[in-house]
Amino acid sequence: MDHEHPRRPQAPTGHGDEVELALLQPKMHATQFPSLQITGYILALVLTLLAFGMVAYHWVPVPSLIPIILVLAFIQGALQMGIFMHLREGRGTTWHLPVLALALFVGLGIVGFSIWIMMFKSGVS
Amino acid sequence: MPIQRWTLHLLRLLFPPQVLLPDIVAIDIGLTVAVIVIGVYLTRTRRWGWLWHEWITTVDHKKIGIMYLIAALIMLFRGGVDALMIRSQLIAPNAHFMGAQQYDEVFTTHGTVMIFFMAMPMVFALFNATVPLMIGARDVAFPRLNAISFWLFAFGAILLNMSFSIGGSPSAGWMSYPPYSELLYNPGVGENYFLLSLQVAGIGTIATGINFLVTILRMRAPGMSLSKIPVFVWSALITSSLVLFAFPPLTVALGLTMLDRVFGASFFTIAHQGMPMMYVNLFWIFGHPEVYILVMPAFGVFSEVVPTFSRKPLFGYEAMVGSLLAISFLGYGTWVHHFFEMGAGPSVNVFFGLSTMLIAIPTGVKMFNWIFTMWGGRIRLTVPMLWQLAFIPTFVVGGATGIMLAAVPGDYQYHNSYFLIAHFHNVILGGTVFGMLSGMYYWWPKMFGWKLNQRQGTWAFALFVSGFWLTFMPQYFLGFEGMTRRMATYPAGLGWTTLNLWSTVGAFVMGAGFLVMVYNILWSRRYRDWDVTGDPWDGRTLEWSLPSPAPEYNFARIPMVQSRDEWWAMKQEGRTDEVKISATTVHPIHMPRNSAMPIMLAFAFFVGAIGLIFAWFWMAILGGLGVIAALAYGSFADYSEVEIDAKHVLQTEAQLGRVES
Repeated sequence: MDHEHPRRPQAPTGHGDEVELALLQPKMHATQFPSLQITGYILALVLTLLAFGMVAYHWVPVPSLIPIILVLAFIQGALQMGIFMHLREGRGTTWHLPVLALALFVGLGIVGFSIWIMMFKSGVS
Repeated sequence: MPIQRWTLHLLRLLFPPQVLLPDIVAIDIGLTVAVIVIGVYLTRTRRWGWLWHEWITTVDHKKIGIMYLIAALIMLFRGGVDALMIRSQLIAPNAHFMGAQQYDEVFTTHGTVMIFFMAMPMVFALFNATVPLMIGARDVAFPRLNAISFWLFAFGAILLNMSFSIGGSPSAGWMSYPPYSELLYNPGVGENYFLLSLQVAGIGTIATGINFLVTILRMRAPGMSLSKIPVFVWSALITSSLVLFAFPPLTVALGLTMLDRVFGASFFTIAHQGMPMMYVNLFWIFGHPEVYILVMPAFGVFSEVVPTFSRKPLFGYEAMVGSLLAISFLGYGTWVHHFFEMGAGPSVNVFFGLSTMLIAIPTGVKMFNWIFTMWGGRIRLTVPMLWQLAFIPTFVVGGATGIMLAAVPGDYQYHNSYFLIAHFHNVILGGTVFGMLSGMYYWWPKMFGWKLNQRQGTWAFALFVSGFWLTFMPQYFLGFEGMTRRMATYPAGLGWTTLNLWSTVGAFVMGAGFLVMVYNILWSRRYRDWDVTGDPWDGRTLEWSLPSPAPEYNFARIPMVQSRDEWWAMKQEGRTDEVKISATTVHPIHMPRNSAMPIMLAFAFFVGAIGLIFAWFWMAILGGLGVIAALAYGSFADYSEVEIDAKHVLQTEAQLGRVES
């Protein structure tokens, strides 16, 4: 496809990132087997089933359930970010970092506030 | 006869008594006739191909913007008719224009349609129509995803609107709190329609948020730093990030409620230790940012309209952007003010009450900045400017009553009364809708190439705004008199009769205003006043440097931006020739190719949603497989671009008089 549509940075394309577009050209004819992605996919499924099984079939005692699930969730998140969400790739601008930080901030805020709200004063009484 | 029994069962499921009311049957017949007439018209004039190639498969942001706008206006009509039905019921005590069940369905649909299927698409219509033009881009970052968003919204809207003729409407209010929405207390498929239609439309909304976030961060013309983008683009950027963080909690809340209703789970049920209040919490984590999602674009529109029609740069650009950021930040920590009465405790309530009150400060800053922009300016009272001028007092009243509601002890008195109804209509109608209509009149020439008649527009405005005040002012007093929201009818002798009568009269005046607006659009289309300059308002930002409507590639030559109001600066410094091309500098342009995949994907979602609504799981699985198939088809269709050759660009631009000799 690349030679049919030569895309070189000569005139502004309106995207403002000509150099990068050339880098981001999808490589349709890659010969490398996507073993990393497939491993990641299987791992993601296993982690999900593990968490589901622990809740549905009481594999672990209740007190240790929540910490274990949190750990599983953390691994799952790292997996998704690292393998599928291009977090480890260095090319291009770094806009994804502030957006990710914002997402973390909002996410933690929602969880933290929700716990506080839904305690119904039991925290003080 | 099993087949006979099965058919009978199906008919009962599809047509329960609540959809067989005479008015609904009349509407069904009317709609069927309308569909047949449109179909015959399209066949007679051989326009199916045109419809398919030019509109249904388009990925052009300008056309998607127009489709969003048309859909939003149709939904405004639908939601408005619901509103008039509600007000007709309440015109006098003990009226029984509708039964209680139908009344519940009508106010539920009114709220849902107005928020999700009128206000949201109206906002996205303006984003799509203008944001790429304002930042000097040729399209949004992900054009096909943009079309997917639109079609998901469209099928979501169809789902919700279908409910009143097939299966029954939802009736638990636009928030659908459990236990009202619980299967035990709300049998039938109506509530499932609510859940699935919002779910389908919500996926599209999140995608739009991502799309505009990336577009604005990554596709600005050279030289256009974030400190030079128009304030409307800032509002689109902030709105998009709010969408990105606010809609997932809604997705979760709706998804869990669906599991409760369709699969017998008990996340929010009363029985089996479910927690209905958790739904309320999740819903408002979405719901409060949602009101800022709706109103920020209106702030953005006014920040464009006021400088243009005052012939002055916006007063305090930095303060405007800073206050938008402050509102979005604070707006994330206020959601409990929708349910102080849950009793989360004094410290929780005080925290959220104070954070709510703090929002008045940045909002006040914006109000003063618009006024200071007008101060000493040469003001032209065009229709967009009239809407802005009407917005200022409305939003100040709405904001002030919001502060009253944020005071926790006060809120215990007037929560869920008509005081609240008046307040949120004051800010959503008087804020979002006034803003969107202002933006519609302002950018109409850019979207369609012809202007809307000013005199008729002024009439529509005058009727709508006077009807608005007449409708909602009495409702504040009704709230003080103790009338609560969602009452299907009320007894005489409570001092509510006269106030309700005035409110109903006002609603019909507003309806007349809407009709005049429709007449205004149709009349202006009939006797087109073409905008040949591309800059009918003597505008300031880049979209006015383009012809109206802009060619499919927007900019034949991407501008090098030097200042904030770039087009104004070009005009002042005599640099307007910069937008022209010459035969030697013209290059071929790559544009995204039309695709049928978006509508296929959205249709697969639609089929799957119907399957879940009626608990026909084979159909849900079929829809799911369709979604996967459409995604796979989309992924492997790697020929997604077309090249517009230089000669064609040169020809088009020459016709528009934009080629340097």
